[in-house]
Amino acid sequence: MSAQEMEKLKEALLDLNKAGVLEVVSATATTADLQAAKLAVEAIAGALQVVGKRFQEGEWFLDELVYSGEIAKQAMEKLSPILCDETQPTQGCVVIGTVFGDLHDLGKDIFINFATSAGFKVIDLGVNVSVEAFTKAVLEHQPVALGISCLLTPAAGGIPQVIQDLVEKGVRESLKIIVGGAALTEKFSLEVGADAFAPDAVTGTDIIRAWSEGQ
Amino acid sequence: MNFKERILTTLNHEEPDQIPVMGLIMDPSTVSQVTGKSATNIVNFLDKPVLGKVAKGLVNTNWFWNRMYYGNFALAMESSIQLGFDANWSIYALMKLYEDPASTLGTAMHDAYGRVWEMGTNDRGDLSVDYSRALCPTEAEWEAWVDAKAPLFDQLVKNATGFHKKLADKYSHRIMPIGYAAPGIFENSWQAIGFVNFTKLVYENPEFVKRVVAFQTDLYLRYLEGVMDSGVEVVLGGDDLGQKTGPLMRPALIDKFFGESYRRVAELVHSRGRKFIFHSCGKIYQFLDMFIDWGFDGIITMEPTADMDLARVREQVGHKLALVGNLDVSHLLVRGSHKEVDQAVRDAIRAAGPGGGYILSAAHSHPYVDATRLQWMVEAAHEHGRYPLQG
Ligand code: B12
Repeated sequence: MSAQEMEKLKEALLDLNKAGVLEVVSATATTADLQAAKLAVEAIAGALQVVGKRFQEGEWFLDELVYSGEIAKQAMEKLSPILCDETQPTQGCVVIGTVFGDLHDLGKDIFINFATSAGFKVIDLGVNVSVEAFTKAVLEHQPVALGISCLLTPAAGGIPQVIQDLVEKGVRESLKIIVGGAALTEKFSLEVGADAFAPDAVTGTDIIRAWSEGQ
Repeated sequence: MNFKERILTTLNHEEPDQIPVMGLIMDPSTVSQVTGKSATNIVNFLDKPVLGKVAKGLVNTNWFWNRMYYGNFALAMESSIQLGFDANWSIYALMKLYEDPASTLGTAMHDAYGRVWEMGTNDRGDLSVDYSRALCPTEAEWEAWVDAKAPLFDQLVKNATGFHKKLADKYSHRIMPIGYAAPGIFENSWQAIGFVNFTKLVYENPEFVKRVVAFQTDLYLRYLEGVMDSGVEVVLGGDDLGQKTGPLMRPALIDKFFGESYRRVAELVHSRGRKFIFHSCGKIYQFLDMFIDWGFDGIITMEPTADMDLARVREQVGHKLALVGNLDVSHLLVRGSHKEVDQAVRDAIRAAGPGGGYILSAAHSHPYVDATRLQWMVEAAHEHGRYPLQG
């Protein structure tokens, strides 16, 4: 994939031009060229960085964040047969869920789109996730990071419970924990033993990327 | 002044005798804390072999559903009176129980609009019923749903009218019932389809979205008529347009798809001589001028955790909108100290009380909103909220 094509892909995504994005990635997919597919992923991730920045600065809104994420997801689906030929996923695995008692999922899903587009394999446990289900998934998938979403104060007490259970099962040390959502603050998150709090999905993705690369 | 005069005076942006206080009481946990009585928790029955079957059958009958719903809200009204509120909201919903393998209990509520509501028991043993999924993610599914559910929509309007009337008849001499017509047009439009799908459709199939909005607008106007037929004098409409950091959708898009509908809502309410107050969570500064333009009389929520500052809102809208709410439900009304609650009430009154046009209330309700803190809030309002306000 040429620099020009990468730029075209990025621009199409930033114009929310789904047909334009899919046209470029479909062409890449038919070549079955792993290097080109990786460059396409790079272009998509680059565009999403810009989307995230625009969102953080209040220039873009949630619908644009969601829709660009959806376009990126479809593009990644087209590219994944080529990328899956690789034995190792580029960035590692992340497990994520919304804590028990809380059914809010929009923020979690946006984070999933961003993390997936940044090259992570994401295991989505859904909403209303119990302590046991979080621990079971961590034991099974051995992720780089566990992401917990929480928008409700009544549910926030579930986060230290999840962390405590991971400590008891002896897997806390080998794992980074990141949390986000309206009910949380950085202070609370660190106090209850998380490694990081993310005010938004873009920051969250940057943090897990840094963790994954630092490993 | 009695509670009703107090509310109506302040909504006219005149100073009443004291700052009115409104309860947003509906959660069984808060109710049981005040009254000592628990609301009917049907989840407890559903698991039992014989009783469960009977309970499921009963819940799906119109009379039992209405009775249970009314019973829960009657307790909420009693709690609000006991805590000394001038007003409390009342909301009706019509749901049916279905076998639903995708839900945690294997059984879930489906509402008339096409939402799934998960039932559960929170850690205090109280019933919780919360929106979890959309039943109509595609255009075809949505069309089929609204075709099939026509009788249910009629039932919904009829039941809601009866529910609000019964509450108004029973309680309006002791407290002002505020008829909450919720969820609103935006939420009824997206929640049956799902936010992500709905957003995609806004970009890819706007004609369908317009059809959905037109349908929901007509239904909502019928629903509002019903709420007003009950005799309530102030109507709340509910639609969350914001999230923690800003609008849920670009404001210009909201205006394009929903602006005309909201204008019709305000016109209808005004044509019946009533006030329309709009509930929206989240950070919504960018909608305030639209609210004025659409004809709303006031807004409720102003969530502090989403950076909504009462003084800033008042500065932006002046006395073109009455303001209701703003007391934090993340910390203050959950575990805040007496001193913190007292100070927050004083700050709110100082920011929005002068000239009338402010009703003190929590920013929202959830099961951990603590009755003792609500009591402190009311007491502080009585202590610091006498007009003419001091300093
Ligand atoms: C939409 C919404 C709903 C929808 C949810 C639909 C859905 N499927 O998710 C509905 C209407 C169903 C709903 C229901 C309720 N809600 Co609500 N809801 C909201 C609202 C308006 C927006 C939330 C949202 O989706 N934002 C958009 C997303 C994209 O933002 P986000 O979740 O913050 O996520 C971003 C970041 O936080 C971050 N992030 C989030 N999670 C994670 C996780 C990780 C790992 C990372 C890295 C990042 C990350 O990245 C995201 C993108 O940048 C908020 C207001 C607010 N201030 O947020 C209230 C709010 C969260 N709700 C609230 C309440 C009280 C309720 C109810 C209890 C209401 C009631 N009485 O019935 C119920 C509870 C249901 C339940 N058990 O879960 C309160 C919570 C108060 C509190 N402190 O507890 C809020 C804050 C509103 C208020 N006025 O106070 N709600």
